[in-house]
Amino acid sequence: MATDRTLLELKAVSKSFGQTPVLETIDLAVRDGEFITILGPSGSGKTTILRMIGGFIEPTQGSILLDGQDITAVPINKRPFNTVFQDYALFPHMNVADNVGYGLKVRGVARAELKTRVGQALELVQLGQFALRYPAQLSGGQRQRVALARAIICQPRLILLDEPLAALDVELRRQMQSFLKDIQREIKTTFLFVTHDQEEAIAMADRICVMNSGRIQQLGSPHEVYYRPRTEFVARFFGDNNLVEGKLAAIEGRYRRIETALGSLLCATEGQPELTEAPAGRRAFAVFRPEAISLEAPRDGNANHMPGTVATVSFGGASTVAAVHLSSGSGVRQVRVKMPSQVGGARIGAGDRITLNWSADACRLVLA
Amino acid sequence: MPPSAGLERRVAGLPVKSTGEDAVRRLAAVAAYGLPMVFILVPLATFLVYSFFWVDHTEMHYDVSLLNYRRFFAEETFLRVFRQTCLLCLEVSFLTILFAYPVAYFLAGLTGRKKYVLVMMLLVPLLMSYIIKIYAIRSILGGNGFLNRALLATHLIDEPLTIFVFNLNAVLLTLTVLLIPFAILPIFLSLERIPRNLLEASADLGASNWQTFTRVIAPLSLPGVIAASTFVFVLAIGDFLTPQMVGGQSGFTFGRIIYSQFGAAFNWPFGAALSVILAIIVILAIAIGARFGSKQGIAL
Amino acid sequence: MKRSKLANAALISITGLVFALLYGPIFVPIVSSFFTVKQGQIDWSAANLDAYVQLTSNEGILEAVMNTLIVGFSAVISSLILGTLIAFYYNSGTSKARALLQFIVFLPFLMPPIITGLSLLIFLREIDFARSLVTVVIGHTVFVLALVYRTVLVRLQSLSRNLAEASYDLGASRWQTFRYILLPNLSSAMIGAAVLAFALSFDETMITILVTGTQNTLPIRLWAMMRLGFTPDINALVAIILGLTTALCLIAARHLMPKELVQREA
Repeated sequence: MATDRTLLELKAVSKSFGQTPVLETIDLAVRDGEFITILGPSGSGKTTILRMIGGFIEPTQGSILLDGQDITAVPINKRPFNTVFQDYALFPHMNVADNVGYGLKVRGVARAELKTRVGQALELVQLGQFALRYPAQLSGGQRQRVALARAIICQPRLILLDEPLAALDVELRRQMQSFLKDIQREIKTTFLFVTHDQEEAIAMADRICVMNSGRIQQLGSPHEVYYRPRTEFVARFFGDNNLVEGKLAAIEGRYRRIETALGSLLCATEGQPELTEAPAGRRAFAVFRPEAISLEAPRDGNANHMPGTVATVSFGGASTVAAVHLSSGSGVRQVRVKMPSQVGGARIGAGDRITLNWSADACRLVLA
Repeated sequence: MPPSAGLERRVAGLPVKSTGEDAVRRLAAVAAYGLPMVFILVPLATFLVYSFFWVDHTEMHYDVSLLNYRRFFAEETFLRVFRQTCLLCLEVSFLTILFAYPVAYFLAGLTGRKKYVLVMMLLVPLLMSYIIKIYAIRSILGGNGFLNRALLATHLIDEPLTIFVFNLNAVLLTLTVLLIPFAILPIFLSLERIPRNLLEASADLGASNWQTFTRVIAPLSLPGVIAASTFVFVLAIGDFLTPQMVGGQSGFTFGRIIYSQFGAAFNWPFGAALSVILAIIVILAIAIGARFGSKQGIAL
Repeated sequence: MKRSKLANAALISITGLVFALLYGPIFVPIVSSFFTVKQGQIDWSAANLDAYVQLTSNEGILEAVMNTLIVGFSAVISSLILGTLIAFYYNSGTSKARALLQFIVFLPFLMPPIITGLSLLIFLREIDFARSLVTVVIGHTVFVLALVYRTVLVRLQSLSRNLAEASYDLGASRWQTFRYILLPNLSSAMIGAAVLAFALSFDETMITILVTGTQNTLPIRLWAMMRLGFTPDINALVAIILGLTTALCLIAARHLMPKELVQREA
């Protein structure tokens, strides 16, 4: 598992291609042994970070440090990192064994030792039987594992994975996600994984670095970024979140009130000092998850209640989502409620008048 | 692919450690830039400069003047032959396209192995010795050749025809036969690129075969036709062997005049000047072809 | 929609006519090579290989063929090396200079051969470099360079850029990457280009006429014989050469065809 030691650091790194800025002053510390995911939409700069660490691109400004040493000027082939490319980049004219052994071959490892280590690496990714096949004869998932074995065998300090599961179908992707996680735990190498798929990030990462427009939005555990978003972007990025705009009002112990068009809401501020330090009247959003809303009356006093009318109910497999029109105060707003699906059908239907309840602990704040 | 991936294509260029590798790279760079410069650019530049020199009774004068160019425009013969040659090559272009389009169309409509075998067969004649081919055509067209004997045998004519022998007509016909394959290929390729579903859509909307042809196929194959005509024109106008072999005394083309400057007439600078004019026409033809060829086309 | 019978018939006839036009000039010498020719008339009575036998003792022609082969091989090798070099150069940068370099490489192929030949001729004279087989090699190299360069470049560009990056990522040096990764994947394109270049060089006449020295290559020899008329063994030679160049081009096609097509055929 992750240690607290910093393995790799990006210090004040920025990147522009010509006049176009792609990354703006990134400071990132990767811990030794962790599985860190860089998550963001297309164009957020996440791949650029990966390629800079790998040495394929040079930063316009800033430096990259490994164990405290500046490696910004070190060429690709001298950096102790290996990359699993998005399209796997397997050498088409070599069989699986030669592909996997390539990194050792160019280092001059003796043939006998090379053969042994290739065998071990293939066993690790469960492709022992495929040593003599060619990439063209393999399925997508198998090619992926070859690419992984090829990277692992060189025993790098850091493995970079550039959206490696993007080309796989959903079921295979889930399998590979747990597979990668298991491997990482077993070989204890630091993994830096780039993806745009938030579910994937949450499932696999020790820490998630959420990026948008070349900036880091938030860096934290999956739990943190999911339940305690710190920017509007992060709040909206994960799942179908509910955001209601308003102005910060009074602090009440571990909570703070926010005045919105729908009325006054009570939100938790624990672990986010900026929320208590911000002045009253500051624009902010109340953020609460669809699955945190309940139709039952609350059990404790610190809850938010809101009457509304059901607009639509959509069955989505494991869960059912209802869009509810709230009409408290002077505003009308649609809010999503997610409930586990019932075999007999949803308990509510379009047109029903209901009251929504959610605990103040499940209601967070995000500064606008 | 993210935008950043395509913008920087270079491997992180970094100081190379070993001097050996560095020296090899420098040498390679010198060769890569130097050799084409020396053997292509410099000769062309020399050639251009040469066209401004002049010859006075077998004596070369190395000072610059526009004498050669003025001579070209002044003396009637040169302009006449030049015009004639351009006209001839346009005719060749036209004739080859006339024959080439139906063939390309037919081939493009075939399926399976037949298609590629026939296209390959089209290219085989190009592999035959150029001179022998011209010679064979000449003998076929000649007084005692195949054509005349066939016409005589079927009593279509009473005496052997000489209109195709050693004159501009002979040049026209010979060039046409030689260059038809070069016209077929670009047209074939552009017809191939038309997606089948466009034709299906046209039929689906009620168009007849002829309408589909005139409204869909023909316009979309136009870039290929333009490319073909440019191609043939450039090849024809630069050919001095064919006119030399079948043109005789009356079939004089611009290319032959240029060639003779380096032979009997021995006026190299003048020949260079005439070639420059030829090059200008070629560049013009390519430019016109490129401009009209790229306007339409399939957005891929 | 199916074509009308009339349209189909018209297309087939025109195609047939064109093929007849194209193959006519070929059949004449080839068919004649199997018969004796007396005073311009073909004796159809008995087929024989006399012309071929006669060819083996025609030293002038054989020497010309040998020279043509030497020139062909030399031109192919130099254009391969230079073309590959320039292709790598073009592919590895984004500067404007490389676009200019590419344009220069394309010039001799785009311009009429008479201009390429003449410019070389004038240049050689001015630097006092005697014309010989070497100058012919130079002329041919310059002519086929564009083809070789383009073929290699297209293949190089089609290789996933990631392949070279993956190789560096795994610790290989530039030379190792070239040797183990790029070269094997380029080899078939290079072979195809080499074969095509050889075929082009073999028959190249116009540039050769202008820059040749005293040693004859085959086209020069044929050009000289044109006035006097051709001896029967020339027919045999033509037949052999046509057969060989066709075979060469089939080999080239095999190497240049995309792998998918080849596999489907297999």
